[in-house]
Amino acid sequence: KSISGVSSGCQQGGCLTCSDYNGCLSCKPRFFMHLKRIGMKQIGVCMTSCPPGFYGTRSPERNTCTKCRSECDSCFDKNFCTRCRAGFYLHLGKCQESCPDSMVHNDTQRECVLS
Amino acid sequence: KIQDGEGPEAPSCPFHCHCEEDGIFLTVDCSEIGLSSVPSNLSPFTTYLDLSMNNISEIQPRAFHHLHLLSELRISGNQLRYISGQALQGLHNLRVLMLQNNQLERLPDDAPWDLPNLLSLRLDANLLSDVPSEAFEGVRSLRHLWLDDNSLTEIPVMALDSLPSLQAMTLALNQITHIPDYAFANLSALVVLHLHNNHIQSMGSRCFEGLQSLETLDLNYNDLQEFPVAVRTLSKLQELGFHNNNIKAIPERAFVGNPQLQTIHFYENPIQFVGKSAFQFLPKLHTLSLNGATQIQEFPDLKGTTSLEILTLTRAGLSALPLDLCEQLPRLRVLELSHNQIEDLPSFYHCSALQEIGLQHNKIRRIESSTFQQLTSLKALDLSWNVLESIHPDAFVSLHSLIKLDLSENRLSSVPVAGLGGLTHLKLRGNTFLYEAFGPDHFPHMRVIEMPYAYQCCVYASCDSYKPAGSWDTEQSNAHEDLQKRTVAVYQIHADAQYDPYLEDFQLEIEESKLQSSVQCTPTPGPFRPCDSLLG
Amino acid sequence: EHPLLRALIKVTLLKHEATGKPIVVEGLFVGGSAGKAEGRLMQYHPLSLCNTSEDERQDGDFITIVKLEHRVPRCLPLLDKARMALDKGAQAVIFDVSDDANAAAELREANSFSRPVVLVEAQGAEDLMGLVNKNEEANVVIEIKVEPKWLHYDV
Repeated sequence: KSISGVSSGCQQGGCLTCSDYNGCLSCKPRFFMHLKRIGMKQIGVCMTSCPPGFYGTRSPERNTCTKCRSECDSCFDKNFCTRCRAGFYLHLGKCQESCPDSMVHNDTQRECVLS
Repeated sequence: KIQDGEGPEAPSCPFHCHCEEDGIFLTVDCSEIGLSSVPSNLSPFTTYLDLSMNNISEIQPRAFHHLHLLSELRISGNQLRYISGQALQGLHNLRVLMLQNNQLERLPDDAPWDLPNLLSLRLDANLLSDVPSEAFEGVRSLRHLWLDDNSLTEIPVMALDSLPSLQAMTLALNQITHIPDYAFANLSALVVLHLHNNHIQSMGSRCFEGLQSLETLDLNYNDLQEFPVAVRTLSKLQELGFHNNNIKAIPERAFVGNPQLQTIHFYENPIQFVGKSAFQFLPKLHTLSLNGATQIQEFPDLKGTTSLEILTLTRAGLSALPLDLCEQLPRLRVLELSHNQIEDLPSFYHCSALQEIGLQHNKIRRIESSTFQQLTSLKALDLSWNVLESIHPDAFVSLHSLIKLDLSENRLSSVPVAGLGGLTHLKLRGNTFLYEAFGPDHFPHMRVIEMPYAYQCCVYASCDSYKPAGSWDTEQSNAHEDLQKRTVAVYQIHADAQYDPYLEDFQLEIEESKLQSSVQCTPTPGPFRPCDSLLG
Repeated sequence: EHPLLRALIKVTLLKHEATGKPIVVEGLFVGGSAGKAEGRLMQYHPLSLCNTSEDERQDGDFITIVKLEHRVPRCLPLLDKARMALDKGAQAVIFDVSDDANAAAELREANSFSRPVVLVEAQGAEDLMGLVNKNEEANVVIEIKVEPKWLHYDV
């Protein structure tokens, strides 16, 4: 098992080049590169949508996954959440611990809804 | 309970899929198993279905008609070219539909998808060249829409009219060239709009009318020739990006309609002119960076822009700074004004939060005692490439946090050391009238020091180790070998290649005397750069 | 050329901490960063350390190891990557340069890192990365290596 050769370690569908120690080094066009932490290792993974808690950014050179804000379970970009973590409630893309006046918590959807 | 569709088709878990039960509900993962069609025996209690990364090129009519409880459907990474309205019939409770990374060329126009509760629709990374006017008539609750990385040449204005609840949309990575007036007139709830990486050259001056909730607008990487004055109607705008465009000027009162702005990114534009009042009254702006705007002769008037923390204004034509600069910008943390024509400096006394000052490549002649007075947080000061002739003895007295000072390439004959005890980096190269050697006792924490002459480095390493001319090669010896001689000669300790626990106290010795071996002083003395100054 | 001190990298698997003998690998300090460091070993992908907003914050003392690959386009110069790793709290950074010939030259140019930055290659690097691939928690101690007295005298 050579250190640098393209090796068996990465059969994922979206991977273009990879190595034993780093997993995917580049993805096929239009796939997102996600740097996945597994214990002390961090490997590259190529996917069509970023995992929960991350959002995708497309650019001509590379598509990457980036972590949402800590209070979001999922998000559209770093400023706009689409689902909140437990204890937070969504209103216009923001996850807050309380809702604006005239709105109440919906605990299943974790959202602020009109009262 | 987990079921695996391994055995003969399990009653509710399709072959090879991975299913998980949550009470009566079922999540079904059939991703990346080589499917060429939608499994037929899906349980009506399925709430989550992942069919991504398969070879599905078509969805049979009524494939999902019984999945009334389905909340999320993922069909990304397949080979779908078209999905008819009937194909998605019955998905009354669908909230998330992922169709990205397919080959969709068009959306249904005659009988659009009927998904009354859909919130998120991903159509990114497909081959859509236009969006029919009626395409979104059946998804009126939509909040998040991805149309990036397609082949759109226009904003789908009519189709967007059906989406009054839309909050976030990306049309990035398409071939859009123009934004017409009232393009987003009905999107009163839109908070985020990404238009980066298109070919937008022009915009109607009323193109953003109706976007009264917009907070983020991304116009980066386009061909805009003029400043987008249309942003004036965006009263809630917090983040604006138009970097990597072709804009040459920022007009007076450019952001008069955007009092909530926190960040503006416009680097990589050939900006020559900036209206003096362009950045006034932006109380939430914390970063302003302008590089290469050569027509700027006067420092901008930043009245009312009181939260600025980072100000970069380089490669312009500034010759002076306002005396009340720090009164206007009390929270300034980084001030970068390199490559201008500045001659005299005001007192930065009221900029007490300043941590970095970059004034390199200007025409500054002297530093007064008051110039940097009370800047107790200042860590880095770069005054290189000026015409400094004198620095007041008390100029650095109160700079308790200063660790990096660059005075290279000036005309100094002396440097006051009072207040500089914390330095780790000091650069004095190029001050040809500066002969004094500053010993380690002035700078107990020094790591990297650059002096005008080699002999001034001798105080940082015993010159004897360089001396015996006979053993000195014509070429300076290999740095690695040179280090061996110094380390061994100084410490006289035996050691073998393997780690030896008895060396523990020796390692500690290295710790204490680290100063001697880890201060990098250049130019390094040598046979042609002797320790004794040729001038005596 | 700045004097480059050699480093001793001693790695102990946490589960063998009491009994096991550490793996000792040699490296080269760059950027005048010779010094002592200790922490848990954490691998980073070469595409990581690209922007300050990146996701990961580790708790406790850790030492970053990155196996560089010439096939991976650089989002930042290596000097900036090293500084970013240190800014993110790494006690030290180890770069395996076995598969990136230019990396060593690029990193030797550095003149000021605040904490140790070490290059490893060849068999030493393979031993280290082999251990990373086990994905078992390991503790690392980095020290300045003292060369033997008679190593360079012609006797």
